[in-house]
Formats: sequence, structure tokens, C-alpha cells
Amino acid sequence: MPHQPKNYQDKSDPVASLIRAAGRRTAPPEDAYRQVLAAATAAFREKKSRRFERNGLMAAAAVIFAAIAVALVLQWRPASLQPRVATVVRLVGSVELGTEQGWQALIDANEMLPAGARLRTLPGGSAALALEDGASLRLAAATEVTLSGSRDLMLRSGTLYLDHRTRSGAGYRIETPAGTARDVGTQFELQVRDGALRLRVREGRVEIDRAGQVVAGAAGEQLDFDALGGVARSAIAANDRAWQWAETIAPTPDMDGKSAAALIAWVARETGHQLRYESPDVEQRATTVILHGNIRHLTPLAALDAMLATTDLVYVLRGDTMEIRARDSRLP
Amino acid sequence: MADSVHVDRAVARRILGGDETAFRELFDRYFPRLYRFALVRLERDPEAARDVVQQTFCNAIARLDDYRGEAALYTWFCQICRNAVADHYRRRQRAAAQVVLIEDQPDARAILEALVAPASDEPETGVWRQQVHRLVEATLDALPGRYGDVLEWKYIDGQSVAEIAERLHVGPKAAESLLTRARDSFRQAISELGYASAEMMDSPDRRPG
Repeated sequence: MPHQPKNYQDKSDPVASLIRAAGRRTAPPEDAYRQVLAAATAAFREKKSRRFERNGLMAAAAVIFAAIAVALVLQWRPASLQPRVATVVRLVGSVELGTEQGWQALIDANEMLPAGARLRTLPGGSAALALEDGASLRLAAATEVTLSGSRDLMLRSGTLYLDHRTRSGAGYRIETPAGTARDVGTQFELQVRDGALRLRVREGRVEIDRAGQVVAGAAGEQLDFDALGGVARSAIAANDRAWQWAETIAPTPDMDGKSAAALIAWVARETGHQLRYESPDVEQRATTVILHGNIRHLTPLAALDAMLATTDLVYVLRGDTMEIRARDSRLP
Repeated sequence: MADSVHVDRAVARRILGGDETAFRELFDRYFPRLYRFALVRLERDPEAARDVVQQTFCNAIARLDDYRGEAALYTWFCQICRNAVADHYRRRQRAAAQVVLIEDQPDARAILEALVAPASDEPETGVWRQQVHRLVEATLDALPGRYGDVLEWKYIDGQSVAEIAERLHVGPKAAESLLTRARDSFRQAISELGYASAEMMDSPDRRPG
């Protein structure tokens, strides 16, 4: 459809006529822009980090860091002795670390964070952290947290997601201005906004303590706590689209040389699907197929698409189930 | 072109040096162009185009040390994008879509001439207009720097030289000069493709007003 220009003062100009007749160029969708920017920024930062390492700048930085650390030990001994509680594994957009000089941009994934570290994501930013016991902490945009201790977090504002697979019963304690959450081996999301608290439980069980009054949320439940103490319960499926932000920032494991079964199990868990194999033979097949390649920056399902395309296995999503089949048995 | 390649090498060096502002500027400039480049090669599948462009940026950043400036940086990105499109079809175990681009059609000149004097009753006119849209879109995207943008601002949005100057944070004379160079580049690009008749593109130059 030719676009109607605002003026036609040079109708006989062939360049103008041609461009006007062709109309405006196709604009990419905004969500595509955001997704690709996030992935490209992560790739850029990784590249930057690797180049610094290769150039030996990291070694020089380590020497400087050691010197500063010595000075810190001498001057601020208690702070310098704080144990490491988390490692940054993925950054998208702008993420900042609180320092004595104020908020400073966090550049590198692999940054190790001590107890007491404050972290915030700006609008459009997100971050994934590996906690010391292997749990995965993810921060959505516009979120501020403090890593108070090895199992203590403070969510000051925004949204976090915790994937904590322990069966030991030793859970995390997450303090918020509107109540304290305790998990027992679970995947859940916690949001604080305008004094209200929202809990979404994907797996396991989470307890919220509000001034001594404890309310529990189970898998598949969403609890909305208002500022006056009221609680509204609703249902949320493990594969609901609401979890997608956490999948997008999921730290992708290195799958090169691993079995297809390992990738499938990771994707099923990240996307909230029950895993089912078509038959024991197919399951056996998945354990013997060895994958080669890189799935960095891909979302879990895109990674599965890419990796299974080279195998004789396929997946089918039906409701909350991911079924793995042999390629020739796939239903039309 | 040599100048723009020189500039491109400097941009690549800045990005390799860790300059995030340079990276973001390049991303904002190339993303819409690469998206359109991929879209027409992927049967206009927006999700596939998004994934392919994402892969393109990730691959290009990983291999940026290999960029030697033999071609414009955008051309280099386009080649990576072509490979990503091929990978996309390979992963799905499908032959690449038979995309017939106007660049490949011997009667492209006739299409452009028809545009000048369209036979509005012919059913093919809509298809032809789409083809012309794509040709002009691809040509604008292939122009160096902000040439494609300033031509669109001028002839689609109807902005004055003063408005364009303000948008680019340059003086009116610089904007006028940029617009003239953009027009010349566009005319040359179309002519070099061999699509436009000499009469169409050789009419007296009109300086933008």
C-alpha cells in the first residue's frame, strides 16, 4: 500500500516517486527487538569478558584486586570476611551492584558476590545467579535484592524466581517489606509491588510469614496478599506463560557431549512440563544419543528444537506434558 | 564505500574494545535491516526471522575479530545472516524456501516502469507493488550509514531539511549535503542493479528543499 506523503512538492523527482510508491519499510515487532537485543547484549558482554581474560588484563586486575583486598582486610576486616554466596551467571540489559560509591554497572557474568551484596536490575534488565548450594536465583526487570547470607535474601522491590531443588528441607528465607517467605525445595516466584506481595508456586511448597501469621502456598497456586492482610488464592499452571520471563533468563547448561536425555530433562523442568517417554526404548535411545553444539542464548524450547533436529527424536507438547517420541511415530 | 569500510573497521574495533555504546548503536542501526533481510528469506515467518537475526548477532559478535574490512560491515552481517537462514532450514530438515526475489527477475525493469504508469485494473498490480516495495526496501537497507533513514524521513514522512538536521543533531547544510548524497547513492544503487531505465534515473537532479 503506497504511503501518503505529507507533501508532493517534487512529484516528478524519480527518487522521491519511487520511495513514496514503495511506502514505508516494514518495522520489526517490538518484542522481537527486545528479545534479540537481550541475547546480543549477553553475547557482547561474554565476548568482552573473554577478550579481557585473553589479553591478560584479568591477571593485572587480579593483582590490583588483591592489593585492594589486602587494604580492605586491614581497614574493614569484618566486611572483607564475608563469605561468597552467589555467582552471576547471566546478565541481560542493565544490572547494577550496590557499592560504597553508589550503584555501579555489573559488566561481567562470573562476578562472585559476597554476603551483603546488593543487586538491582533496571527496566529491561534481568539477571541469573547461581547460589552456593546450586539453586538458581533469577531477577526480573526493575528488581532490587540483597544477598543477606548463604540462605537469606531480601527482596526490596520487583520480582524474583527461585529454583531450589533440595530435598533436605533446608530452604531459603526471603524477607520482603510485606512478609517473609520460606521455601522447601521448590520453584517459585515472589513479587513485591506497591506494598502488595504476590507468590506463585510452580513446584513444592512455600510459606509466607506475615507478622507471625503463616500462610502456605502449594504447587499450582498463586497467592495475592494485599496491604491489609487479605489473601486471594488462584490457580497457575506450571507451564503458564507467566513463567516465561524466568525461562528466558535461564542459565543454559553446557550440553556439548551430553545425552539428549539430559537436555530433555532440563527443558521439561524449565518449561514446567511433566516429562513422558513414548516407550522404554525411546527413553533408552535418549540416553545414548550424544549432543554436539552450543545452545547458549537460546530459550529452553529453542535449544530443544535445535538439538533434536539432528536426532531421530521429537517432542510433542500436550497440556502440561512433554512427550518424547521416535521421529517416525510422530502424529500428524 | 572505502570511507564507510574505514568507519566500519573503527566501529568493529570499538566494539571489540568493549565499548557498549558502540555496540548498542550498531545494534539499533542493523537490527531492523537484518530483520527485513531475514524475513523475506524465511517465507515472512516473524518468529523464524527473530530467531535467525538473534543467531546472526550472536555469531557475528563471536567472530568479530575475523572482520578485516574487505566489505562493509553490514554486508558482512548479511552473509552471516544468509548462513543462519541456511542453518534454520537445515535444522528443520527442509530445503530452503524457494524465495523468488525481485533482484532475480529479468523483468524488474518492467515492474519499475509499470509503477510509474500503473495499469490499475490489472490484477497483478498489487503483487507488483509488493515486489517494488521489497526492492526499494532492500535498496534503502543496503545504503550506507543513515542514508536509508533520511530518505524515508524526507519522502515518506515529508520532513524538511531543518527537521532532519534537528533529528540528526547536525546543521542544515550538513543535513542537505547528507540528503543529496543519500539520493545519489539510492539512484546509483538502483541503476547498478540494472533495473531502472536510464530515463527514470537520469532526470535532472533536484536538490532537496
